[in-house]
Amino acid sequence: MSKGHTHDHNGDDHGHEHPAAPMVEEITDYEILEIAVRELAIERGLFTAEDHRSFTEWAESLGPINGSRLVAKAWTDPAFKARVLADGVKACKEIGLDWTEPTGFGTPSDYTNFVVLEDTPKLHHVIVCTLCSCYPRPILGMSPEWYRTTNYRRRLVRWPREVLAEFGLILPPEVEVRIEDSNQKCRFMVLPIRPDGTKNWTEEQLAAIVTRDCMIGVALPRPGRTADVHPIHKARRPVESSHHGRAAE
Amino acid sequence: MKASKPLKTSEAPARFKVGDRVRVKNMPNMFYTRTQNYVRGAIGTIAVCTYKDLIPEEEAFNYDGRIEQYYIIRFRQKDLWEEYPFDNDTLQTESPEHWLEPA
Repeated sequence: MSKGHTHDHNGDDHGHEHPAAPMVEEITDYEILEIAVRELAIERGLFTAEDHRSFTEWAESLGPINGSRLVAKAWTDPAFKARVLADGVKACKEIGLDWTEPTGFGTPSDYTNFVVLEDTPKLHHVIVCTLCSCYPRPILGMSPEWYRTTNYRRRLVRWPREVLAEFGLILPPEVEVRIEDSNQKCRFMVLPIRPDGTKNWTEEQLAAIVTRDCMIGVALPRPGRTADVHPIHKARRPVESSHHGRAAE
Repeated sequence: MKASKPLKTSEAPARFKVGDRVRVKNMPNMFYTRTQNYVRGAIGTIAVCTYKDLIPEEEAFNYDGRIEQYYIIRFRQKDLWEEYPFDNDTLQTESPEHWLEPA
């Protein structure tokens, strides 16, 4: 049918089937490239499939906890804060984080230049990578899915205040918004302002309110707002099933 | 294939210092670059002299080419986007030296 088909939709002969739209997004060229290179490397004996799986498992298990600890320590120790701002990689060693691990070069594609951006009452930082998704993974773990989207990347540099407002963060015009586009080998993280109502808090208490988004710069830390506390809006028509019913009895 | 080993040192002194005004050149993209279109032709200020390293245009092909000084450059958002409404807002991004010229 497809042979010699001229795509004349007015003709009588229109019995062919258009291909169905894919159920999920098609695989990208880069994903195919990654799989091809990985399989060649395994075949060549550079590493095993098990090595690849366990490294991925480890890399994906990294979270933002070290970033939170770094901020909390900087808030309580001005001398440490000065060292953080002077040399981020060096200061990380003081909280037990070595940017060169585990490869001697850092995690793949994470270079070992780390710059911490200090917010002030007149200056607010927010990070993005317009070219791809550069992110300080050794200290914050994997980036959130939205951080990698073209939507965030292209709109943050052009309409930063509108994008921040979509995250619920509205800043007054007198505060300078500074976008940091990490397009080369520096990796960046935001050191937010210590919020009011945290006097005499321990480092541990402080670290709990420094969530991932505060260190990207799309949110501000505040007492009571921790990563494990979030608003719950109860369903208007909750699910009723015999299973739930029995559990309640 | 021999692995690329960056030297990360260069005899050449840094051409710019913090506070210098620079313009990002508008050069054609030859195969690979990390210099965004939206900063081409824009004038900014050197904010930080970061490090010396291979340039992306060569490192992308595993070529041990020249080592250059990198800079963080600060732009006014108003200088990047004509009708940008907030006077104070800024954007910083990084660039190797060969993309910059004195402004």
